Amino acid sequence: MEQKRIYLDNCVTTKPDPQIFDVMREYWENEYWFPANYFTAGEEINAKLQGFKSILGKTINAKADEIHFTRGGTSANNIAIKGLLMANSQKGTHIICSVVDYPDILTNYSFFEKSGFEVTYLEPDENGFVSPEKLKEAIRPDTILFSTTWVNHVVGTIQPVAEYSKILQEADHKIYLHVDAGQAYGKFPMDMEKVSIDTMSVSGHKIHGPQGVGFLYQKSKTLLAQVVHGVNRVDNLETGGINIGSLAGFAKAAEITFADLEANTKKIRDLSDYFLNRIMNEIPEVELNGAPGEGRACHNINISIDYIEGEAMGMMLDLQGITAATGSACASQGLKPSYVLMAMGKNHMQSHGSMKFTLSKYTKKEELDITVDKLKEIVVELRRRSPFYQEKK
Amino acid sequence: MQYSQKVLDHFMKPHNVGEIKDADAVATEGSPACGDQVTVYLKINDKTKVIEDIKFKSYGCASNIATGSMITDMAMGKTLDEALAITWRDAMEELDGLPPTKAHCSVLAADTLHEAIKNYQIAHGHREVGNFSKETIISELKHVIYPQVGEDIVTLKMVKYVGFDDGVAIIDIEIPTFDKFRENVADEIREHLEKYPQIKDLQINM
Repeated sequence: MEQKRIYLDNCVTTKPDPQIFDVMREYWENEYWFPANYFTAGEEINAKLQGFKSILGKTINAKADEIHFTRGGTSANNIAIKGLLMANSQKGTHIICSVVDYPDILTNYSFFEKSGFEVTYLEPDENGFVSPEKLKEAIRPDTILFSTTWVNHVVGTIQPVAEYSKILQEADHKIYLHVDAGQAYGKFPMDMEKVSIDTMSVSGHKIHGPQGVGFLYQKSKTLLAQVVHGVNRVDNLETGGINIGSLAGFAKAAEITFADLEANTKKIRDLSDYFLNRIMNEIPEVELNGAPGEGRACHNINISIDYIEGEAMGMMLDLQGITAATGSACASQGLKPSYVLMAMGKNHMQSHGSMKFTLSKYTKKEELDITVDKLKEIVVELRRRSPFYQEKK
Repeated sequence: MQYSQKVLDHFMKPHNVGEIKDADAVATEGSPACGDQVTVYLKINDKTKVIEDIKFKSYGCASNIATGSMITDMAMGKTLDEALAITWRDAMEELDGLPPTKAHCSVLAADTLHEAIKNYQIAHGHREVGNFSKETIISELKHVIYPQVGEDIVTLKMVKYVGFDDGVAIIDIEIPTFDKFRENVADEIREHLEKYPQIKDLQINM
């Protein structure tokens, strides 16, 4: 019997929870209307959308009207960053982020840099951690925005968002805080009442919800310029039609994720620890990339395996039914090694030889055992072929 | 799957992997910085000039390993002149093609084989160490692949000017500013040319 594919690339997307399909189907089949006033069907949908917002808001202790539906995390990041900068460019044109941020932030920043904004890119330490001290030093009188990626998408390092927030609030003028929470949402509790964040992006399909929907948290009274123009169905941030079924599925997935957040994330962390321990004990000359222990998100294990290259490892795993990611240049679109690992001070071989395994609530211990067993064989075989391993002996 | 079945076969079960302890010629090309490096070992019959044994080692991706396996298969049993005539295009064809971004793997494998043979010929007095000139630079640029299409930059007419005078090499390359392979092409040019001590200053203009 053919072995079922082992999927360890959950930072890209996750398997939808089967419980969301019935909810989604009901909307797609029977309650497919768009929101509107004065019509029964439209008002009904209006009320349903409010309900979803309130469910999603509760997961981060925010009010329903602080939640805006978007077509995903990237859409939310664009609406927030562009909206904040266009609304505030008279107050200053200096913005800050770090070199290890998610591409959504970096590409938006690069766009504004070309349009005359000045950008300070903060450098991480060897674990990918961006220190609040560096943020403090980078602040200028004309700084208007700091953006950060709460959980790093490559190495899983958790950034100190609460400390950033405190520093920005202590500044002598308003500096907005935008957070990409794509890898963070559903991995630990978040409380918008306790930590002051102006805008935050969340993606639905990374918490076992449907693809193509997300939300933007916008703190009350935070002004965003409109950047997506068109017909106003729900609000004027993400204009155009809505996907009611997917929004219903997203709310359902969030409800499930947060119903038992602590138990679920503990289970994933225990599995990650088990997986990492087996790798460290059974494969020589391997190192963990990113912060150790509680400093990293529960689902991310990123390692560098010396003397061999990641695309070859990833291909061999793939041909044996295991999906995982690598930071090797050979597997990237632009043939460049992972910019995150390079910025953390890793050398070329460590970046090319990096493998990223990301777990989910569906990952089973047996799957991780199979993965370690196969990886062990692959490492031995590829090292046999490597000129560097021979030199070492 | 972007790789042909033949590439996968040679990747999963490569031929001629290893070292030859008392090799008659060895060459290494590439570097960890580029993400791939190949070493080729040759055992050559001194009288017939036939390659009697050939082995390789590879640090690199699946296609790097597959091209190493293929090029060594193709060179085994050939005379040195026959082996020198094997091009990176031949190796790629034998593998039923490679994705454009992987064409440089075939170049690397063929270059390493040719370098090992040249090392042997120079050591045995069968080849003069060539004079360095502008033409040397141009022939090296024929080994730099533009990964967007998997062709070399000379054939693609991306090289607009090559100058060499008093240790200064100037190369003008036409490539769009937004091209995602700009850095990659510049790195490849540097890697091909930095082995020449004659070049004191390399200027790449894009």
